[in-house]
Amino acid sequence: MFAEEEIVKSHRLRATGLGNIVLIAFGIILSRLWYLQIYHGQLYLEYSLKNRLRKEIIRAPRGMLYDRNGVLLVNNVPRFDATITPQYIKNKKLTFKRLANILDMKAQSIYKIMAKNSTLPRYKSIVIKKNISRREVAIIETENDQLPGVSVDTFISREYIDKEVGAHVFGYISEINSGQLPKFKKSSAFDYKQGDFIGQFGLEEKWDLNLRGTNGFEFVEVDALGRKKRHIGNDNLFKGIEGLPSRPGKNANLSIDRRMQLAAYEALGDWVGSVVAVKVDTGEVLAMVSKPSFDPSQFSRGLTSEYWNSLVSNDKNPLRDRTVQEHYSPGSTFKLVTAITALEEGIIDPQTELFCNGSLTLGRKTYHCWRKLGHGKVNMTKAIQQSCNIYFQKLAKKMDIDVLAKYAQMLGFGTKTEVGLPREVSGLIPTKEWKFKRNGVPWQLGETLSCAIGQSYILASPLQLAMAYSVIANGGTLYRPYIVKRISSNTGKGDEVFNPEVVRHVQFKPSTIDTIKNGLFAVVNRPGGTAYGSRGSGIRMAGKTGTSQVIRMSKEKLFAKCEKNPYKIRNHGVFVAYLPANDPKIAVSVVIEHGCHGASSAAPIAKKVGEVYMKHYQSQLQQKIFDIEKKERALHLAIQQKIKEEEEEDW
Amino acid sequence: MVKIDLAKFLKRYDLSFFVMTGCILIVGVVNLYSATHATSFAGIYRLQIYKYLFALFIGILVSFIRPKTLYRYSYLLYVLNIIFLILVLVVGKNAQGAQRWLELGGPIRFQPSEMMKVTLILALGKWFTKNYPDRPLGLRNLTIPLLMSFIPAGLIIVEPDLGTGLTILLVFAFIVFYRKLKWKSILILGLLGLITGSFMYQFGLKEYQKKRIITFLDPQSDARGSGYNAIQSVIAIGSGQLLGKGLKKSSQASLNYLPENHTDFAFSVFNEEHGFVGSVILIALYVSLFLRFVWLSISVLKIFDSIVAMGLMSILFWHTFINMGMVTGLLPIVGLPLPFISYGGSSLVIFMVCCGMATSISNSRNLF
Repeated sequence: MFAEEEIVKSHRLRATGLGNIVLIAFGIILSRLWYLQIYHGQLYLEYSLKNRLRKEIIRAPRGMLYDRNGVLLVNNVPRFDATITPQYIKNKKLTFKRLANILDMKAQSIYKIMAKNSTLPRYKSIVIKKNISRREVAIIETENDQLPGVSVDTFISREYIDKEVGAHVFGYISEINSGQLPKFKKSSAFDYKQGDFIGQFGLEEKWDLNLRGTNGFEFVEVDALGRKKRHIGNDNLFKGIEGLPSRPGKNANLSIDRRMQLAAYEALGDWVGSVVAVKVDTGEVLAMVSKPSFDPSQFSRGLTSEYWNSLVSNDKNPLRDRTVQEHYSPGSTFKLVTAITALEEGIIDPQTELFCNGSLTLGRKTYHCWRKLGHGKVNMTKAIQQSCNIYFQKLAKKMDIDVLAKYAQMLGFGTKTEVGLPREVSGLIPTKEWKFKRNGVPWQLGETLSCAIGQSYILASPLQLAMAYSVIANGGTLYRPYIVKRISSNTGKGDEVFNPEVVRHVQFKPSTIDTIKNGLFAVVNRPGGTAYGSRGSGIRMAGKTGTSQVIRMSKEKLFAKCEKNPYKIRNHGVFVAYLPANDPKIAVSVVIEHGCHGASSAAPIAKKVGEVYMKHYQSQLQQKIFDIEKKERALHLAIQQKIKEEEEEDW
Repeated sequence: MVKIDLAKFLKRYDLSFFVMTGCILIVGVVNLYSATHATSFAGIYRLQIYKYLFALFIGILVSFIRPKTLYRYSYLLYVLNIIFLILVLVVGKNAQGAQRWLELGGPIRFQPSEMMKVTLILALGKWFTKNYPDRPLGLRNLTIPLLMSFIPAGLIIVEPDLGTGLTILLVFAFIVFYRKLKWKSILILGLLGLITGSFMYQFGLKEYQKKRIITFLDPQSDARGSGYNAIQSVIAIGSGQLLGKGLKKSSQASLNYLPENHTDFAFSVFNEEHGFVGSVILIALYVSLFLRFVWLSISVLKIFDSIVAMGLMSILFWHTFINMGMVTGLLPIVGLPLPFISYGGSSLVIFMVCCGMATSISNSRNLF
């Protein structure tokens, strides 16, 4: 015990040493304080009274979007806001009155805005009017001296060149809301801050990290009235404080063709619906429009509540992307899958004819063909051409739903296409297991019969339809559809090029593909084909019409004239096609909500989009087709003439 | 049966530590009220009073734990604390984000890195009592204490909390110096630390890690902008001049670093309002508290008590010195609070625990 006490005592010198270190340390602090407060005190007092150093964020310009030919689609434009910084206001009444005059608003409303933001720190500027005109900017800048505390804030707004056209693909940006902030902080490598604008929809959302760039900042010296001095004073205090320049976001080159996009949008007219066009041999999306649409520019310019309300209250839901965020019963366009299943599984020979008398009875239920009197004897090609329900339902009787589902899935149905747009739906391909899990009831044959003609549970998005028909068109390859072809920065660093991605190769018999191609060709180009009305000059389409029932209908209603029904229960019209028929390049799918028939509502739109493609990409081929058709017409006329003559002779 | 005479006990209970910190605490509450009265944080001082009372309660509780008991359990506490640190890293990673805290359910959270400072001192105290207590130490004798300090420091830096990690190493340095390290060894150790430190920063950390560490410690701005806060702080302090602008007259509320003026930058608000005279008085309070610890460390009878007293002093000292240094522009801005003045509860509890332990050590000379 005694020894230990001695040891402690022997530490006295070191303890004194540490005590001295403490004294010296605080001696340094005190001398620093003396230097700041006494020696330079007056100087710092002046700084604190007269000058302020303000850190201002330089917003990075967002990357621009170009179409496949380098045409600008989405751009940045400067925008001006009138703001007030409460800290610097001298005479509230006078300033508000003057500003109200300039901005053509009531002084009362400025008071209201100020009152709303009264909880903010006084050095924070408050936006009084968004998006003011250049004239207003000029007046405020010239009357700067009479308007202490008023300033004009500049920032970059997003401009969508074609406004509503393709709004769903490009999406929009808007200020990050407080609910999103913690979510983004956690899940993203990027440091999102309050006040940032982020992509909230479409490509803007999905590619936000690439497009957004990095904000910079600069330090500006402001005087006691909050007016900026151009440069930081050259005295020792603020010297050496540097800003950081912003780094612009990367630009994106899209696979979209603006001309086709515009044509598709125009062709849709007043219909509610969507058009998707893809390249069959790469999966590139050429056009993707959905209607009704919205003007994405409005969002980054500070959305007015009227505009927002008009979007939200519209029961046609303009904010929904009908190409990937909506799925429909594909109707007869799904007969493609039924036909493939039947041919691949050997259920029927292409030439075998089945008889359609207009209805088919299974148990207590009777299924009707769309043509009341039936189609008579039909083989596969004719069944596709005339879209005979009974033919396919007779095949379906011999089919297992899981086998049908297998082929549907091979063509990409039932799973997301991963096109790179947010909130894509996966559609639905039912199986026995799925139904049992959902309803606890086993599968019934009658349901297979409905599924075989694309009704019942089956759901597909317009993009899925286009991709599935591409598989037939290109001879058996399912691609992942994509929109962004290239991401590039101004510096050329970190450029990314995206190439076609094969999801899977499907091995169908060549005879299967030929038979179906013949059928699809006949739909548009042979008399009696359901889309014969949309056969074109200079364009050789092959396709399939479809009618998607909105509600289950009684027999009377089924054969009633669709246009006479109330809008809400009219059928959707569907048409999926590829062209040119003999050497397919693109596939187009059109869905018209409550358009009644695919042939009358959807097919003409597909034709118009196809014509634009042919005009710009296949003009030589188009010319050739023109010539052939001319010859055909001449021949046709000659034959007619001859028949007439012969008939006359006979007479 | 030992009969405790309450009157006698109170007479011998060493109140000096709590009285001295109490004085600083009062300054802290007034300063907090003044710094935030015009901001959205107004009223926060009331919350802080509750935190003070809670911390004081914990401190007084600790003052009744006898140093003997601390000595007995010091290794156990140390090991437990290390386990907690590892747990924080594992659980923290799963939770994404908050990697310093262990949620104990409800509002109770536990920050093992703060506690580590104290448990390390206890463990080092025990080790130095058991090993070579009576002769100067060479480098070779230091292997185990070095490991004991660098393991937790490393774990905390990985969290990442560079400020606390470095504080732990500085505390270790103080203790080793006090425990009579050979002068030659001090030199070698110092050099080694300098080299590995700079080497680690240069090559060990990737660019984004460096940036993350810096922005983490100073969330307001990134590397190149961090001078901004320091300069605003310096202007505020300088403008206080001899007598200060007076209570509630700080112009800090109009400056952009508002979110921190009641936490890490509380001292600059104090200086602006009370001037040089005010800060001389405040620093005098701190210095006398620290010297009280130093005095305690050489007036006790046991080596363990002596080392622990000095260690506790060094925790408080380094926090105070680094914080004051950073707001006056002498040191880079790392997020360390000013003991008893800055707003916040978790660090305060630890500072109060330091006072409680010191009181207990002081009492042990008289009471038992």
